[in-house]
Amino acid sequence: MLDDIKVLEQDIQQFEITDEDQLEAYRLEFLSRNGRVQSMFKNMGKVPKEERAEVGKAMNQAKNLAETKFEDAKLSLEQDQSKDLSARDDITLTPPSYPLGSLHPLTQTLEEMKSIFYRLGFTIADGPEIEDDFHNFTALNFPPNHPARDEQDTFFIRKSDDPNIQDLVLRTHTSPVQIRLMENTKPPIRAIMPGRVYRNEAVSPKSYFLFHQVEALYVDENVSVADLKETLITFAKLMFGSDVKYRLRPGFFPFTEPSLEMDVWWGSEKDGKWLEILGSGMVDPNVFKHAGVDPEKYTGFAWGMGVERIAILRHGIDDIRTFYDNDIRFLEQFN
Amino acid sequence: MKVSYNWLKEFIDLPLSPEETAEKLTLIGLEVEEIESYGNSLEGVIVGEVLDVRAHPNADRLQICDVNLGESKTQIVCGAKNVATGQKVPVATVGSTLPIKLDDGSSLTIKKAKLRGEVSEGMICAEDELGLGTDHSGIMVLDDGLDIGKPISEIFDLYEDTIIDIAITPNRPDATCHLGVARDLAAALDLDLKKPDIPQGKFVETSDDIKIRIENADKCHRYVGKMVKGVEIKESPSWLRNKLKAIGVRPVNNVVDVTNYVMYELGQPLHAFDYATIRGKEIIVKDFDKEIEFETLDHIKRKCTPGTLFICDGEGPVAIAGVMGGVDSEVSDNTMDILIESAYFDPGSIRKTAKEQALQTDASYRFERGIDPNLQAIAAERAAQLIMEVAGGTISDETIDVHPTVTESHQLTLRKSYTNRLLGTDFDTDTIVEILDGLELEVTAKDEDSITFEIPTFRPDLEREVDLIEEVGRLFDYNKIPSPDHGIFVSSEAINDWEKLNQKIRETAQQLGLREIYSNSLIAEKDAALHGNKDQMIHSLNPLNKDNSTLRPSLLHGFMKSAAYNFNRKASGVRFFEVGHVFNADKEGTYYEGIKEDVHVLFGLAGFKNKDSWLQDAQSYTVFDLKALVNAFFVKLGLADHIDSHATDAETLEYHWKDQKIGSLFIPSEKLKKAYDFEQDTFVAELSVTAIAEILSSVPESTFKAVPKFPSFEFDIAVTVPQNITAGEMMNVIKQKAGEQLEDISIFDVFEGESIGKGNKSIAFRLHFLDRNKTLNIKEVEPIIQRIVKSLEKQFSAKLRG
Repeated sequence: MLDDIKVLEQDIQQFEITDEDQLEAYRLEFLSRNGRVQSMFKNMGKVPKEERAEVGKAMNQAKNLAETKFEDAKLSLEQDQSKDLSARDDITLTPPSYPLGSLHPLTQTLEEMKSIFYRLGFTIADGPEIEDDFHNFTALNFPPNHPARDEQDTFFIRKSDDPNIQDLVLRTHTSPVQIRLMENTKPPIRAIMPGRVYRNEAVSPKSYFLFHQVEALYVDENVSVADLKETLITFAKLMFGSDVKYRLRPGFFPFTEPSLEMDVWWGSEKDGKWLEILGSGMVDPNVFKHAGVDPEKYTGFAWGMGVERIAILRHGIDDIRTFYDNDIRFLEQFN
Repeated sequence: MKVSYNWLKEFIDLPLSPEETAEKLTLIGLEVEEIESYGNSLEGVIVGEVLDVRAHPNADRLQICDVNLGESKTQIVCGAKNVATGQKVPVATVGSTLPIKLDDGSSLTIKKAKLRGEVSEGMICAEDELGLGTDHSGIMVLDDGLDIGKPISEIFDLYEDTIIDIAITPNRPDATCHLGVARDLAAALDLDLKKPDIPQGKFVETSDDIKIRIENADKCHRYVGKMVKGVEIKESPSWLRNKLKAIGVRPVNNVVDVTNYVMYELGQPLHAFDYATIRGKEIIVKDFDKEIEFETLDHIKRKCTPGTLFICDGEGPVAIAGVMGGVDSEVSDNTMDILIESAYFDPGSIRKTAKEQALQTDASYRFERGIDPNLQAIAAERAAQLIMEVAGGTISDETIDVHPTVTESHQLTLRKSYTNRLLGTDFDTDTIVEILDGLELEVTAKDEDSITFEIPTFRPDLEREVDLIEEVGRLFDYNKIPSPDHGIFVSSEAINDWEKLNQKIRETAQQLGLREIYSNSLIAEKDAALHGNKDQMIHSLNPLNKDNSTLRPSLLHGFMKSAAYNFNRKASGVRFFEVGHVFNADKEGTYYEGIKEDVHVLFGLAGFKNKDSWLQDAQSYTVFDLKALVNAFFVKLGLADHIDSHATDAETLEYHWKDQKIGSLFIPSEKLKKAYDFEQDTFVAELSVTAIAEILSSVPESTFKAVPKFPSFEFDIAVTVPQNITAGEMMNVIKQKAGEQLEDISIFDVFEGESIGKGNKSIAFRLHFLDRNKTLNIKEVEPIIQRIVKSLEKQFSAKLRG
């Protein structure tokens, strides 16, 4: 009996089903009322009692095999049929585009700078874009009528001959936020101050009458040029890679003394050049006095840099005006 | 400022190449912007003899020349028509470099070449190709008698130099001349500085030749006059012309050239008067209390405001002091006697005048920055000496020196401890003195802790201890300052809420599929007027032009302009956001009285949401796309439960927190869109970030609520109401009547039609009720529904639909 079952199983396995007719032939041969599986069960009576358990198990196995093969073959035939797909079921058709949001490349560059500063232990502050003469110039050691004021062509909002009424200007740098911070906070202070600034300059691919700066300020009892240098170098390495080639050179800003500028080497060893990336220095004692900080007790450093400048360097953008056109074809390159 | 490498070498034995010198200058604070070679020694250009000229077989315009170069003979292809057998010509031999600039900025180097199949080894040059003139009509034909093979440099007076262009910072007036730059280099490189030898005249206050009077001693501290009589005005000798030309100064005549030369050498602007033209033989330095019209050397008649300082003769102004001379007293070919003016003018006064006249001259540039107040006599003597050398004549023995305001040198003490504290160094006082050596700061006292220096008057920038520390730092080289022992800092201070909110807003907008834009905050007044109140605008008093005169009253213009920009470039739709400052006049003001400076966020959708595709036709954005977006924004900010909205008209929805308006959502009118030249459906929402920050600081932070254990009970109410009733009004009533169990309300159907009567519409609300403690059933909800329906009936004449 067990041998017969084995033969039946072999026959089931070897039966070829490739179309509907064969499936029906299979059904008739094995699974119909008079099919071989049913016939097999009809022989149960002839099996000696002591073998029944074993034979019954084998019979059930054969039956399962026959049924599973039938179901699988049926499904697979159905699936084959469904390959007759409609034109719209073509998975290779183009989907609608998904609306992607993005941050402006200047925001992206600024965020990168912020995250570096946060790692360096700086916090963040901001201030208004319209400032008075005191915060934008006088407190930053630009005396009235000083030639240094000429270097920052200024948009005026309010001008008065009355010495008690301050001129109002569109801030020419983010440095006035330094003054605000020092006026309102007792050292130690360690903060960055990003924001929009304005210069009354002709528009060209290289210059625009507004741009963005990030200012950094650190005031404590023993801050030195060495600290400044260490911070600048760490920033440059985090921003441009640890193999960045840099140099520090003296500069001039009315609100720092000494003043330093930092250049990084841009391009290949042979064809590259030094590019200025930031200005910095030790907070001038006059600035401390104006902001109500004792210059004998505290020292500090400050530095500032242009967000556009860094973004232009990083992305090889050749025209600063591109940032303000908001052309989608430009913006979508900065996903 | 252009600095000549050759000129610097007259003052110091410079062991560095021009490039190394430039690098060093940059590292000590005299930032080099450009290095340029000037002129050419024409090495490798020699006299050749044309032995034969024949036609080029493959080119009509070219000829083949055999040229004798003395030691060899060579074939050169030449394009000039005037080349002929027997001529002596300048030949640039292979390997020589000519002063011809190529596109990449380099100079042309002659190589062996084949021109149309014929070998050419060298180039027969035209005058302009050698930098010897401007003639380009043909090759230069030299004197027959010249020896073949003789270098051109031995025949012509050639001049070669390297020009280093330095950006002088405003604090370094001492570096606006060659001697000053050389002094800095000498100090940094530890070299000796060789100053020119200048004889001293006899100082008098007045002379028979000229009387000098200063009326305004605040504006003119000193006026030195020096006479040179019997000069011959002519072209300067080549050494003088070459030196000036190399630094970009056009030679004029020998006397004017000398005054320029001394200015670039010593830093003192000078003026040479034709003595004969000085009326009354007197010079008066004064200002006027009325406006003066004066014609300057550049033949421009200038109106000068009261207070402008003038140099006058017996009858009236002859020069605007420190800025520019006048036409009448300028040195001409007939001039015999010269009066040299060497004065010190107050920087502020010159700056004001130069600015008013929009006229920056080499003289005003230096006076504005503050020249050495003790240089005047020396410079006048130097000029007299050189004028005699190049123009003959005799120098008057007397030097007239009127010096009402004397500037003395001052003392400055440098503390070792403060120096090291500020620089992060460990210098002793000896080292500091050594570093500063060469700057001509004289040590007047010194001990272990401090040094006192006498500060020369040519360094007005050295006023305070910290200024001297900068000198120590820059001459030592900041790159050499060691790293501090301690590491980078940590901060316990949290990022403030304002910054967090701004970040969250940008993040959220990005998540909502909006692209960030940066738009201009200075816009045209007419654009601001499209959406702002004219009386509330803030303007710039000195705008770049009328397109950028007004500070944006809102972010709308930037969005509309950006949308138009993209539609003009075939974009089908835009989804933008912007965060930025906006400005409006306001009594109180934010930071300053009268000016409200807020931060706003704008969301804008315009045009098509999707492109035409096989899947669906292109669909325009609708106001509900933007409403959904703004709602999602409030949800992300945790404000959804605190913000109410209501329509102020059919196109505007205002958002409120309590009584405070925080912004609005609106549909720009067709007229407004027309102003930007597009017609696409457009929807804009603008909210005050400043207001949102305030709300967030006063509403309690939302806390966790357990997910409800019981299902909500859903109930639909459909009513017919007159057309003019808005859904918003009805929902406000529903919310009010439903009480706390109402979890959510939505509208699932809106329609109008004959079946419900003209002038009516049907709105169907779906209400979700929830009790957190039990399952609600119809019995509990029914009374609430009754209340709602009653109120709707009463307030809006609503009829419940079956």
